[in-house]
Amino acid sequence: MSYNTRTILMRIFVYTVLVIIFVVCVLPLWIMLVNATRSTSEIQQGISLIPGSNLLVNWNTLTGRGFNIVHGLFNSTVISVSVTVLTVYFSMMFAYAIHVYDFSYKKFIYAFVVLLVMVPTQVSVIGFYRYMAAFHLTNSYLPLILPAIAAPSAIFFAKQYLESVVVKELIDAARIDGCGELGIFHRIMLPIAKPGAFTLGIFAFVGSWNNFFTPFIMISKMNKYTLPMLVQTLRGDTYRTEYGSIYLGLAVSIIPIIIVYAIFSKYIVNGIAMGAVKE
Amino acid sequence: MTPKTSGRKSTGRINKNFYGYLFTAPFIIGFLLFSLYPLIYTFYLSITNMTLMSRSYEVIGLENFTKLFSDKYFYQALGNTWKLWLLNFIPQIGIAMLLAVWFTNNRLKIKFTGVWRAVFYLPNLLMPATIAVMFFSFFSLYGPVNQFTVRAGIINDAIDFFRSNGWAQTILVFVQWWMWFGSTLIILMAGMTSISPTYYEAAMVDGASAWNMFTRITLPLLKPVLVYTMVTSLVGGMQMFDIPYMLTDGRGSPNGSIMTMNVLMYMKFASNKGHIGAASSVGVMIFIITCIAALLVIKALSEREHKPGKRAVKVFAKGDLKA
Repeated sequence: MSYNTRTILMRIFVYTVLVIIFVVCVLPLWIMLVNATRSTSEIQQGISLIPGSNLLVNWNTLTGRGFNIVHGLFNSTVISVSVTVLTVYFSMMFAYAIHVYDFSYKKFIYAFVVLLVMVPTQVSVIGFYRYMAAFHLTNSYLPLILPAIAAPSAIFFAKQYLESVVVKELIDAARIDGCGELGIFHRIMLPIAKPGAFTLGIFAFVGSWNNFFTPFIMISKMNKYTLPMLVQTLRGDTYRTEYGSIYLGLAVSIIPIIIVYAIFSKYIVNGIAMGAVKE
Repeated sequence: MTPKTSGRKSTGRINKNFYGYLFTAPFIIGFLLFSLYPLIYTFYLSITNMTLMSRSYEVIGLENFTKLFSDKYFYQALGNTWKLWLLNFIPQIGIAMLLAVWFTNNRLKIKFTGVWRAVFYLPNLLMPATIAVMFFSFFSLYGPVNQFTVRAGIINDAIDFFRSNGWAQTILVFVQWWMWFGSTLIILMAGMTSISPTYYEAAMVDGASAWNMFTRITLPLLKPVLVYTMVTSLVGGMQMFDIPYMLTDGRGSPNGSIMTMNVLMYMKFASNKGHIGAASSVGVMIFIITCIAALLVIKALSEREHKPGKRAVKVFAKGDLKA
């Protein structure tokens, strides 16, 4: 076989595999979205790839049985937005300090932050629960939001990013012009680092939006449930045979993320790749 | 806010570096209050008999641990966690590596790499709660999978997937793979594209085969990225909770076949009496096992360096963000 035929055969093989994996990734999601628009009897009759016309009925069944999706969306948004703001602001601040200043424990603390990335954090949730309960903070969102101040993986990303965009001469110039250090951080550094802050923000938001474990431990009041906690109730008895409604509830919970991803997928994919390898 | 006195601005390094302490202070305070203290407190709770139901408790030493070491459920959870992690990690890194090689291959020139990659990564962004309930519905007795396979004549009778240990574990492993291979693919690809093409050009001139180039150039230069991928996956895998908890009844059914250590911890916490002490001891065990395993991985894969600690930092300084 000649070199060229072999390449062509290989290419056909590769594309076949890619298409199969593509289908494996997309088909479950598509079936879920389609089933969200079909009635229970239609769903029981078989799989379809074409949407049905039962969306409104499913929506009424879903919301009529205590699945307060608007509440859930609101609660999740409040928490995730707060987490995003805190994570981006304080991680950038920390990374900026490491990048620009010389202080005694600088090297030590950065090495420490890097090591923290690989420490399992969920295991201390029981202690965290008791500790917050002592301050009567169960069923409060503060325990879900405040820890975002100390996010090692976000700092790590921020540091990599700042190294590539912040020029020290610019900081010196601002100092000569009489700008204070806090002013430099807020008025010069943050605007320069906007694209990085944006990527960092997306990851912080998605991480908090999808987080199930900590809210599940900390929150017990139904009206304070976050979206993942509500989604989990779809498995229960309330919707046992209302398949259309179950699929609709699932669909609603992921559509916001799919839309964000469709718009910003470049940022997100590059964000993962950016930290992974230093130029 | 700091007062803007002219003295502060004009003084040199020493005063400016005061801001180094100021800017790092929020993290340090946040870390001490919300990460370190809860961790130490969890260690303390693990040597008490505290429950959610009673106000008083006693320090009982290592009793929780001796109980744990004679508990067959603990060994089952430990075995499950490792088994489920390895069974998803091996195909995850294998397929990600294969795809990364194809995508970066100059001869194949695969088109729309960005689109393939973006779609393969999509499941990683979705809510694990949604994914778990979705696959639970798909594989339920009257779900789409059974409908399709029975009607297409692949099987005669519908399979009750979640009553079979093997099937439940297989589905869990598949779902974990489905969620994570795209992320691994992107990281490996970033690592591969950063390798200087001159190495490959030189090898090509010497007549090296594709396989030789992969094993002699790509793999060694990719080692830091591989260590990073493996360690983060290990740390995540040892704490696996969302999918195994929500895929079946929250107790790792059938027969505890998908009960991970974290699920066991939650079961003790949420049991009738709320055994906080016992649950904490499981948490402490997860912590210790994960840290030891992570250090072993780093040490084993970076045998030339003498200081594993420093090596870890170096490897991680090349890592990425997993929010």
